[in-house]
Amino acid sequence: MVQTMGQEQYIEFAIDEEQYAIHIEDIHEIIKMQDITQIPNVTPYVEGVINLRGKIVPVISLRKFFNLVVREYSRTTRIIVVHHQNDTVGIIVDRVNKVTTFADIQAPPERIGGIDGNYFVGIGLIDSGLVAILKLNEILLHEQE
Amino acid sequence: MLSEYREVFLEELEEQLQLMDDVILQLEQEGETERVVQDLFRAAHTLKGSSAAMGYEEMKQLTHEMEHLLDLVRSRVLRVTGPLIDLFFQSLDCLKELQQDIMRNNETITDISKCVRDLQDFGKLPDEQAYNDAEDLPKPALSLDTTLKVKEAEDQGLEVYWVTVQIAADCVIKGARFYVIHSNLCHLGEVLYSVPDIDKIEVEEQGDTLLEVQFLYAGKQSSQELQDLVAALTEVEHVKVEALPVERAVLAEIGTRKQSESINEDPSNRDKSKTQTIRVSVERLDHLMNLVGELVIDHTRIDQVERTQRRQFTGDSLEELSQISDHLARIISDLQESVMKARMLPIEQLFNRFPRMIRDLSRDLGKDIELVIGGKDTELDRTLIEEIADPLIHLIRNAIDHGIELPQQRELSGKQRKGTLQIRAAHEDNQVVIYVEDDGAGINPERMRQSALSKGIISAEEAMLLSDREAVHLIFRPGFSTASSVSDISGRGVGMDIVRSNIENLNGLIDIETRWGHGTCFKIKLPLTLAIIIGLLVKLNDQTFIIPMSNIAEIVRITQGDIQTIRGQSVILLRDEIIPMVWLHDQFNLPRGEQKKDHIQLVIVGSAEKRLALAVDELIGNQEIVIKSLGSYVGKVDGIAGSTILGNGKVALIIEVSGIINQ
Repeated sequence: MVQTMGQEQYIEFAIDEEQYAIHIEDIHEIIKMQDITQIPNVTPYVEGVINLRGKIVPVISLRKFFNLVVREYSRTTRIIVVHHQNDTVGIIVDRVNKVTTFADIQAPPERIGGIDGNYFVGIGLIDSGLVAILKLNEILLHEQE
Repeated sequence: MLSEYREVFLEELEEQLQLMDDVILQLEQEGETERVVQDLFRAAHTLKGSSAAMGYEEMKQLTHEMEHLLDLVRSRVLRVTGPLIDLFFQSLDCLKELQQDIMRNNETITDISKCVRDLQDFGKLPDEQAYNDAEDLPKPALSLDTTLKVKEAEDQGLEVYWVTVQIAADCVIKGARFYVIHSNLCHLGEVLYSVPDIDKIEVEEQGDTLLEVQFLYAGKQSSQELQDLVAALTEVEHVKVEALPVERAVLAEIGTRKQSESINEDPSNRDKSKTQTIRVSVERLDHLMNLVGELVIDHTRIDQVERTQRRQFTGDSLEELSQISDHLARIISDLQESVMKARMLPIEQLFNRFPRMIRDLSRDLGKDIELVIGGKDTELDRTLIEEIADPLIHLIRNAIDHGIELPQQRELSGKQRKGTLQIRAAHEDNQVVIYVEDDGAGINPERMRQSALSKGIISAEEAMLLSDREAVHLIFRPGFSTASSVSDISGRGVGMDIVRSNIENLNGLIDIETRWGHGTCFKIKLPLTLAIIIGLLVKLNDQTFIIPMSNIAEIVRITQGDIQTIRGQSVILLRDEIIPMVWLHDQFNLPRGEQKKDHIQLVIVGSAEKRLALAVDELIGNQEIVIKSLGSYVGKVDGIAGSTILGNGKVALIIEVSGIINQ
């Protein structure tokens, strides 16, 4: 299946050397790393909650969600705050690269580098390589089950 | 359009039914006095008017019959007797069922025919007074304005009548006829009020609403003269002139009020007293409360900033900041208190339901009970009043059914025949405490053990280990009921369990004090409000947690040696009471940290009747906190009730004490 979505804008970010993207319309804002209050007795990839200008926002580690090797946060670590249904959730990523568009998006394979393909809308093609586009519905629904 | 008024009507209905309840009880206890009969008459009358206006036919009919009987009482034709009072109570219950029907928005399912018949039969006197059916049309309740007009007319020496005119059914343009009669009356004297309102009627109106019309008329004529004058008009089928049933007390009161008002107020302000309260939806108050909550949080932050600045700088501007911040703090706390007060109602609202309930219960059970109510004015959050109603009713039923003995039995044990049930409310340290106390048989711990054992709730071994206090607390276990016979009043074995869980949900505590043979006292402690609470900040391994103050029984410090172990569970002994102890760290999978000091800080918490000692690293202090949910993404977390934002901007988690205790 080949689609062309030339006009759609995405935010491209990275974990390790892998590149991912989230549709810009899903994104509320991108903030620097915050003080996170851990919540006991929850799924490990839920890092805790932050105070986003008076609002309590849960944050998850995409690294832990994808079962990747855990690393320290760095200067480039960012929280991408997304709207999901009526909730606001922060997603921790290694660094945010740029706003981008894809000339071509292909359907995701069953697995992408050991990660279930269902978590992705598709694979976007850019000059510097491939970008996996997140399917937020699938990722954020996970916890509520 | 009716649905807009429905809410208002329901509120009025609730008020009037409650009033009737009180008044009938008074009638029973104090006997027939003019004032009480008048009060009851007025309540029935008001309901009749408003239910007719809303189209609730059954309610209208029932209140009409009640009103009729009361009228007979008022005119000394009937005497107030036991059966009559029972009949009134019965009618009241019927009205309450109708109220339920209306609230459920259903068709009326309540059958009022029997009640109506009983009322009618009662009113039938041996000599069978002739009673004219044409009176059926209810006289509308008069507005303050109209009442004042009536008063004025009377002061001028005019007679005031209700003139009921039946317009001939074959009259073609009834609207016009109505106008003609109206203007004729205006020539004769003054029309103070008419049903329907003259301004709202089209001349062309032909509807049946105009078959029978009413005028409140003031003039010099005698009733007979007036009768003849109106009857002489064309297309008038029937005329009835009645003197206004004057509610003298009201008029006199309005009269004096009007006099005092007219001295310092101009007439346009006359109705001001009516607009001093407005109804506000609870939702709006909730929203206000949330906003105030945000302010409280922001102010704690400003405070914190000020303190850090003070460490680094000095100067006038800092001084100014501190003054502004202090002022802001005062305003915010006033604001918070005002908003909280707006949500508060006196517990009287709830307590007022009890006298009737207790009368009925004690009657059914053949017990003689005196009810003592205290602290009616104690105010608490509206939602809390609603939530606490069921538990309280259960406790009261239990006290009457199981607690207070039959009169003969009481005499045998050397007590007064009449049992006493006390219900009191009071404010204690920013919390509300409600007591339900009886001087009945008390709870026998031994019997509790045996009963629990026979029902398989506890094992024989457990029964042996239970202290008397713990045995009494068995009453809160699901499936526990000591009554040997199951009555429909209590004793299904669900009551106390529900009481416990309801109070738990409200973050409250419940305690029992009982002496076998002397009575039982239940003590319920509740937070004043649910939105902003006082919390104790504690430190666990560098992380700050908050324990709601309403859950804290006390704070103690122990040494490692004070901890004992019973069957693998750490416990401490506090004033001869064994309290289980847990490290809060273990609950939250946090490392306990090194025990540098030899003492351990314990917070004794409680939820409903249970107690638990929580070990924490450090106590930080009390603070007002605003509860914020963790959101639906995180959902419900074991042992966490929510979160809040501290002065330093960090998020702190609020501990859900009931969750930890029940683990």
